[in-house]
Order: sequence, then structure tokens, then C-alpha cells
Amino acid sequence: MIEFKDVSVTYSSTGVDALNDINLTINDGDFVFIVGESGAGKSTLIKLLQKEIDATSGKIMVNGFDLTSMKRRKIPNLRRTIGVVFQDYRLIPTMTVYENIAFVMRCVDAPKKYIKTRVPYVIGLVGLSDKADCLPEELSGGEQQRVALARALVNDPKLIIADEPTANVDPALTYGIFELLKGINACGTTVLVVTHDLSNVVHFGGRIIRLEKGSITIDQVFGGAEE
Amino acid sequence: MRVSTYKDLIGQGIKGVWRNRMMSFASFCIMLVSLLLVGLTFLLALNLNRAIDSMEEKNEIVVIINDGVSQEQIDELGQSIQSLANISGCEFFSRDQAWQDMVADMTEEEKDLFQYADDNPLPDTYRVTVVDIETMGNTTVQISALENVESVKSPNEYADVLISIRNILTLVSTAIIAALVVVCLIIISNTTRASVFSRRKEINIMRYVGATNRFIRIPFFVEGMLIGVLAGVCSLFLTKFVYVGLYDILTNNMNILTALGISSLYSYDSIVKYVATAYIVAGAVIGAIGTTISTSKYCKV
Repeated sequence: MIEFKDVSVTYSSTGVDALNDINLTINDGDFVFIVGESGAGKSTLIKLLQKEIDATSGKIMVNGFDLTSMKRRKIPNLRRTIGVVFQDYRLIPTMTVYENIAFVMRCVDAPKKYIKTRVPYVIGLVGLSDKADCLPEELSGGEQQRVALARALVNDPKLIIADEPTANVDPALTYGIFELLKGINACGTTVLVVTHDLSNVVHFGGRIIRLEKGSITIDQVFGGAEE
Repeated sequence: MRVSTYKDLIGQGIKGVWRNRMMSFASFCIMLVSLLLVGLTFLLALNLNRAIDSMEEKNEIVVIINDGVSQEQIDELGQSIQSLANISGCEFFSRDQAWQDMVADMTEEEKDLFQYADDNPLPDTYRVTVVDIETMGNTTVQISALENVESVKSPNEYADVLISIRNILTLVSTAIIAALVVVCLIIISNTTRASVFSRRKEINIMRYVGATNRFIRIPFFVEGMLIGVLAGVCSLFLTKFVYVGLYDILTNNMNILTALGISSLYSYDSIVKYVATAYIVAGAVIGAIGTTISTSKYCKV
């Protein structure tokens, strides 16, 4: 569960008010789109969720962690409950698909036996079993994003944040990525998709939060064209 | 963390040395030269201290008393000497006793030669020991100024010179050590920074998935410490080469040591375990501190 109470962020270096008195609750298992123009505060919101930055005022709860009073050494515990998908994939170019995914499991000190069974399983989930030994450069944009999704998923997080997951993907493959995210959500994982592409929002539906100049202007549920 | 995870992280650190081999080599060379200079300076100071200590052990001033003075005047002189500062002992040594001792040390030929001597040529003396060898010069001057003193002989003519060298060496070596440690820390820190930069994508991913600070930093620690330890080990071998060479030259030609007033030097074997420990520990500690500086700045969770 994510809860923002009167959260504001002002960047001290520039004096810019990135978020103004945000109040927001996202329940476990929700599928939420966060939309808005550049500079609306979407990236700031994501940074707050991962405690990359601190709120200037207000209170934030994420997956049971109180981010306002959290000590720095506890941040890894919070991040282990969150999976992140970046628009530029951020795969390690010298590692194969398998190694990229196994790497994040090693980072959280997962047992080797578990890694050996879990990694092939999630690679199968994203439909890349035959590409497990390929390097990222040998994959298409859509496939690389699937690897990134598998990597976000492999540590079984409570929340997945997808930051513009289809920005660098061929439009024809966008559908597949969102289908995967919907599937992950159907298993009970909260999914937060940050995008400025409203066509996907309209197509898939779900809860939509629109940010404008650091404030929430729309927060409602759309049915989606599929339904 | 699991033991296998630690093994993996240590392995990554070792690979890191090779991955950044140019910077690693530069760090290694700087640390090698620094450790070597510090080590050799330290060994030089150690041997000088030994020479000075051995002089302090035989810190005897011989006070030769004028001929023909009465026993009362000799006693007065003894009291005057004892009343001076820096005196730890003052023993009267009569000319008869000195003669007997000298005869006892003579060979048979020498005894034959001296049996016709009609008079004891030796003077009455006081054997004076001092507390602090560094002020022996002053004490000698004070004793010379006393009444009924013919002359004063101080056996440690080089003590003052050695003490001056030691003091200068201590000052210079402290400055050199401080400067070199700073240089080492900067170069190790830069090497780690280069290593962090080359692995920035991995570090970024590690941060996002919840890796701990310890997990992220251990490979860099291993890298920095490994470079330091390797530099320490190589310094040890080079030190052996230089020290043993100098030791052989000096001990094979005792005249040099005698001229310097030095009775003996530390053999390499007697100090090798201390030198090895100091080099390896210093290398590892400098490597670890240099890494800490970089990682605490660039590897924050």
C-alpha cells in the first residue's frame, strides 16, 4: 500500500516546487497509470517512492515502511519490495539475459539453488526461454524490455514501478508489454505505470492519476477499451 | 550475508584489479615506492637508535685527576662531580688498581716489557656515568671546569652527531610518511573511483533492487586492499634486497661501523617478521581507507 499525506517537494538547489500537497492512496493489487506532461512531477513521485529523495513536508508510507522517519540503512529493505522497469531498460551489456536477472537476485543474497530455479521460471513468464543465453545487444527493444520486466519481477516485489516502459519499444510490441504488466497485476502485485502515452491508458484502462505542475488534477478509474 | 556471497564479492574485487589494470598498476607503483621509502627510512632510524642505545649502555666519562693531589682533594672532587646534574654514578678508580687491571690484561711479552718500569705511569681517575647521553657534552664541559681535573675523556665522540642525525631523520621521515600516506590515499581513492565509474551501471541496478552498502562496497574494498597488500609484499622483497646488500657491505667492513661508533646492526632475519607485518598491514589499511573515501562518496545507497 502506498499512502501520501500532504506531501510537498521543493528542490533546494533550484527552488522549484515539484510536488504540492499531494494526498494519495494506492491499495495493494491496484493497477495505476500516472500521467502528465514533462515537469509535472512524475519522476519526483517515483524518486520519493524509492526514497531516492526526501519529501520537504508530509508523510509517505510504502509497503509498510514509513519513509519520513526511515533511516538510510533501512532503505535496501524498502527497495527489496519494489521492482523498477526503466524506459532505457538499464540491462548490463556484458551479461546474458540469465545473468542480468540472476544478478539482482544475488544482490539481495538469494540462495544459489533458488536462483537456479527462479530465474528460468521468470524468463519463461516473459516468453524469452530461448533467449536466456543472449546478450542484450542481440535482442530487440521489446525483448530487452521484457528482460527488464523479468528482472523487476524476479525478487517477487509487492510493487512494480514501470517508468515509460514502452517509450523505446516498437508500437507493435507495446501491447505485449502492457499485457505482461496486466498479468503480473493479476497475480496480486501492485503496478504503477508512469507514461505520457494516453492511448495505452485508454486502451487498457485502470486507475489514472494525472499530475499537472506538481498537483493531482485527475484521479479516477477508466474501464478501458478491452472491457 | 552468506559465505558464498562473500566469496563472490571477493572474487569480483580480484577481477576488478585486472579490469582496471592501468589504474591499479599506477596505484601499485605509487604505493610500492611510498612504502619502500617509508620502510627504509624507518630501518635506518631503527639502526641509529640501536647505535645510540648501545652508546648509552657504556656512557662512561673518564675523569683524569691531577698528579699529586691529596686524598681529601680527590674526595672533594668526587662530591663535586656527584652534585652535578645528569650524573647517575661516580666511582673512584685508583692508579694502583688501574695498573693491576692493566697488567692482568697484558700478554706475557707485554708483562716482560713492563716489569722494568720503575713507576706506575697511570693517573687516578673517576669513572662517571650519565643519565641522559644527549646532554653528555654539557656534563663533560662542567666536569672539565672542576678543580684538580687534568682532563676528561668521553668515549662517545659520535654520540652528538648520531643524535642530530636521528632527530633530523625523525623529523624528515615523519614529514615524508605524512606526505606519502596522503599521496597513496589520493591515488587509491582515484583508482576506486575509476573502478566505480566502470561499474556504474551495475551499481545503479544494485541500488534499485535493494543491495546493501556493504554488498556494493566489498568488491572495491577488496580491490583497494589487494593493491595495498601486493605493494606491501613487493616492498618487502625490495627492502630485503637493499637492506641485506647494505648490511653485508657494512658488516664485512667493520671499520666503517667502528668509525661511526656503531657496534652492530640489526640483521634482516631478526626484523623480517616486523617489517613484513608493517608493510602488509600499512598497505591494506591505506588501501581500505582510500577505498572508503571513494565509495562513501560514489556508492551511497
